[in-house]
Amino acid sequence: MDSLHAIGFYVSAAISVGGGIMVAFLPGRGARGLALAVSGLGIAGLYAALSADLAGLVALVCYAGCALLIAAPRYRVVDSPVGFVWRQAGAVGAAALFAVLAYAAYRGDFVSATYRGGEIGTAAIGRVLFVHDALATEAVGALVLVALVGATAAWRVRERGR
Amino acid sequence: MSPGLVAVLFVGVALVAVGAFVATWKRDLSAALAGLPLIFGGAGVAFAGAARFSAASDPKIFGQEVAALLAVAALALVALGVGIAGRGTSR
Repeated sequence: MDSLHAIGFYVSAAISVGGGIMVAFLPGRGARGLALAVSGLGIAGLYAALSADLAGLVALVCYAGCALLIAAPRYRVVDSPVGFVWRQAGAVGAAALFAVLAYAAYRGDFVSATYRGGEIGTAAIGRVLFVHDALATEAVGALVLVALVGATAAWRVRERGR
Repeated sequence: MSPGLVAVLFVGVALVAVGAFVATWKRDLSAALAGLPLIFGGAGVAFAGAARFSAASDPKIFGQEVAALLAVAALALVALGVGIAGRGTSR
């Protein structure tokens, strides 16, 4: 990896993780959505630094959509019945998850690094998606369809109930 | 210093942990949905990094593919969650 990619990787890593932490602590939907968009920008930058340009473009669009959904002013607040102690326990659990996975990552340096940077590779990824892994692509397409239909149906049922 | 596989996996792990933290810490379950894209993004970064640094012939396409699918799945799940939450007052 050349120095430009390395700088891009570290900057994107800082942006993505920093944006994620801001999502946790910023009050207000608009700020949370903006923080998620910043984090998505960082994740797209990480993909680009890892020579996964098409995935970066897809991530940029998808995370922008997620940020718009999270920042939207019209969805209902659903308060969790879980108390503060259990939320703190969840935070400690997230820290423990980080420790375990970080240890696994530290022990994962077992493959040789080769640089395969360059092109966006849309044609090659399209071939993999629709020829080699067509079932996985169909599954994600079905998930998107179910999610959109389910979201619309749930929204309409609630509106009709009022 | 050029980042290697461990650095990439470390960033992916950090994103997954931050996403899990967001999902557990937010009192509003609709806001906790914001943790999902972070978790999926961390997994995607790990996939892309493992494919990028693997020694096999041309595996980087596979990592890109999974990363793209994870991003789409994250968007779909957030849309579903927000739709299930329904309309209401903002906070």
